Amino acid sequence: MKRFDLIVIGTGLAGLTAARTAIGMGAKVLIVGRGMGALTLFGNTVDLLGEIPPETEMAEGITHWIAAHPEHPYARTGWEGIESAVAAFRELFPPPYPFAAPGRGNSLLPTGAGTMRPTWLTPITMAAGAAMTPAETLIVGFRGFKDFQGDTVSLHLKCRGVILPLPRYGLEGLTAPALARLMDETSFRERLGESIRQQMAGERFIGLPAILGLRDPAAVLKTLETITGARVFEIPMLPPSIPGTRIFHRFREELIAKGATFRMGHPVSGAIIKDGRCEGINIDNPPLVAEYRADRFILATGRFMGGGLWAEMDRIIEPVFDIPVFQPGERGNWFGERFFDPEAHPIHRAGVVTDADLRPVDAAGRVVLANVRAAGSILAHHQAIEEKSREGIDIATGFLAAKRALAS
Amino acid sequence: MTKEEKPGPLTKLPDVCVRCATCMTACPVSRVTPRFPGPKQAGPGAQRFRSAAEASVDDWIELCTGCRLCDTVCPAGVPISEMNMMAKAKYLDERGRTFRDWLLVRSDLFGEMAARYSKIVNPLMKKKAVRWLLDALLRIDRRRALPAYEYPTFRRWFRTRQAPEGGGPEVAYFYGCFTNTNETDVGKAAVEIMEAHGLTVVVPPQRCCGIPRLGVGDLHGAREMGRRNVDSLLKTVRGLDIVFSSTSCGLMLRHEYGPLLHLPGAEELALRLFDICEYLLRLREEGKPAATFQPIPMKAAYFAPCHLRSLDIGLPALELLRLVPGLDVSMIEAECCGLGGLYGFKKEKFAIAEEIGKDLAEAVARMKPDIILTDCEGCRMQIRHLTGLRVLHPVQLLRDALERRGTA
Repeated sequence: MKRFDLIVIGTGLAGLTAARTAIGMGAKVLIVGRGMGALTLFGNTVDLLGEIPPETEMAEGITHWIAAHPEHPYARTGWEGIESAVAAFRELFPPPYPFAAPGRGNSLLPTGAGTMRPTWLTPITMAAGAAMTPAETLIVGFRGFKDFQGDTVSLHLKCRGVILPLPRYGLEGLTAPALARLMDETSFRERLGESIRQQMAGERFIGLPAILGLRDPAAVLKTLETITGARVFEIPMLPPSIPGTRIFHRFREELIAKGATFRMGHPVSGAIIKDGRCEGINIDNPPLVAEYRADRFILATGRFMGGGLWAEMDRIIEPVFDIPVFQPGERGNWFGERFFDPEAHPIHRAGVVTDADLRPVDAAGRVVLANVRAAGSILAHHQAIEEKSREGIDIATGFLAAKRALAS
Repeated sequence: MTKEEKPGPLTKLPDVCVRCATCMTACPVSRVTPRFPGPKQAGPGAQRFRSAAEASVDDWIELCTGCRLCDTVCPAGVPISEMNMMAKAKYLDERGRTFRDWLLVRSDLFGEMAARYSKIVNPLMKKKAVRWLLDALLRIDRRRALPAYEYPTFRRWFRTRQAPEGGGPEVAYFYGCFTNTNETDVGKAAVEIMEAHGLTVVVPPQRCCGIPRLGVGDLHGAREMGRRNVDSLLKTVRGLDIVFSSTSCGLMLRHEYGPLLHLPGAEELALRLFDICEYLLRLREEGKPAATFQPIPMKAAYFAPCHLRSLDIGLPALELLRLVPGLDVSMIEAECCGLGGLYGFKKEKFAIAEEIGKDLAEAVARMKPDIILTDCEGCRMQIRHLTGLRVLHPVQLLRDALERRGTA
């Protein structure tokens, strides 16, 4: 049976970051995912902490914020930890499809709900969204493409909007992956660019749903900008996220090229625990159960969507290692009155509490499993949705967990 | 080993699906045609409205190729492809299957005969008039080259050859129909590479695994094929491991005989079934006698077939190929070749298979490899058709790289 230096459980951004960091340090890595992770659900931009106002410089804002939130995952990494982890992330995306911060603090980007949302890094295909002004922007939707309601977006953003038929018959009802694939085709995007140009009335910005190609989005952007003479930007929309899929594919390509073993599609069904350490995990692929052994483990299974946390009738559990979970109180109090309460629903405070080394601890602060670390949104004491810190937590703690694991 | 029963999410129910649409990023069919609504709608979406008592209305269910990629990305563990398979079976049970489908899934029956008379059959299958007739009468697309038959068959070659002085541990080989009558060199290479690893190869009695019948939703027929194989192969595994070189046969034997077809004895069989590269890699990791390879200075592109991804054993062929000095091997970044077994031979589905294959062909064109390697016979046929390049099973290249003197 194969023995690994490190097994990463979870194929979301935290797990992928941990695996890549470890591979970069020369480790023999297995990464396993029950599915593809949450990058297709979010993963459009890299949020660090959308909550702090755009005029605040990011390093300063987060440093202050950490001081006021000593339990937060960022308190484990510090600003320096976030900075180096994000720098490593950016190295994975060299030009022509780089990620960059449009400002010194948060930038506001338009969303598929027609709101402006704060974020830190954007891919090049979204960068112009941070500079748009309503009067100079044309929002383009596609007839029959249900996942992006162009008229709602333009109405809310107070921009002019058009809904275009797609430049090929019979395409109505197409999905985001199908559209993105068509955009990779030069002739298709040239015709689309031409039909957009004919609709323009002097606009300097054009907003489109985030479907500008899967393989070569920078080339799609260039074609559209050349034809229209305007700056073009993608607007994040409903899942599945094409920009998130690009991130996933890039990580997977890199991990396999550098020799990581990549398993996806079956859940970890149990762990082999001995003397306070994890010796191995079982992966359930009926009718077989495969066993894998390693010296170290990183748990990056996310929260409820991916099954990292699981709600029983009266408490929240962690199903892989049965690690103690910080509980959000009585079940009756798990949820607030209104879905969009500005305050996080108490259930979102649940998660795994760790020591400074990201090793899960029990209520008394004792390390539960000496060679297991946790990373990403499964960690307790953050409110990724309300704070807008999801990708930052994933990247910073995934990076730190791998560094600390391999240093041990 | 401790395999504790941990509480976890429910499976098998369509309501387990949270509509996250991650599967839409993986489906090769819905990405190229709006005629198939994709795994989310066709699987759990439509499942909620299906009733055993009512006639099927979902005629598009036939367009699912059964690649199972949706299963590998689903974060909720929904058995999407199984739902599609059951729906397809019901639909075709009600509508009836064509004579073409009846014929194609029985290629194992006439394969031996066709191989025997391959000198007559092969030129005949290339004749325009014959292809036109097959196209017009049976709707087997005339643009798709039919695989040539080879004689002597693998089975005959194995029986009549001068076996080398053995003495090493025995291992059984499941070669599959295509290797037997259409690509005998894959079988010869498999035998040679195993012998070079100090193994003595035996070939147990075996029949078509039955996966072509699953492709047309013929569960009853697939179960019949499976039952005969299990009866024969169980005798073998009560002493020996069995390796397979076709990832589709392997997936069928290992994971469909039990969980889908509920064949008695399937689990016992699955425990001792291995992909050939997985098996060789394991021998090497356990420090057992292993072959050494001589340099093959060549640029190779490796493609991971859908059913290998579904087996979820990592990429053992790629790991082995990396041991060949001088071989510069990288992954083809594409999701599916498009053939879908018999799917791509059918006139009404040919265009879909071609469109899916286009992405792979373009990825290959960017890589400019000297040779392409992939574990599945269907992928090899399709990639030859798409690229015109030399396409081999990884074991064929490994056999070519054998350095006899280094063999332990």
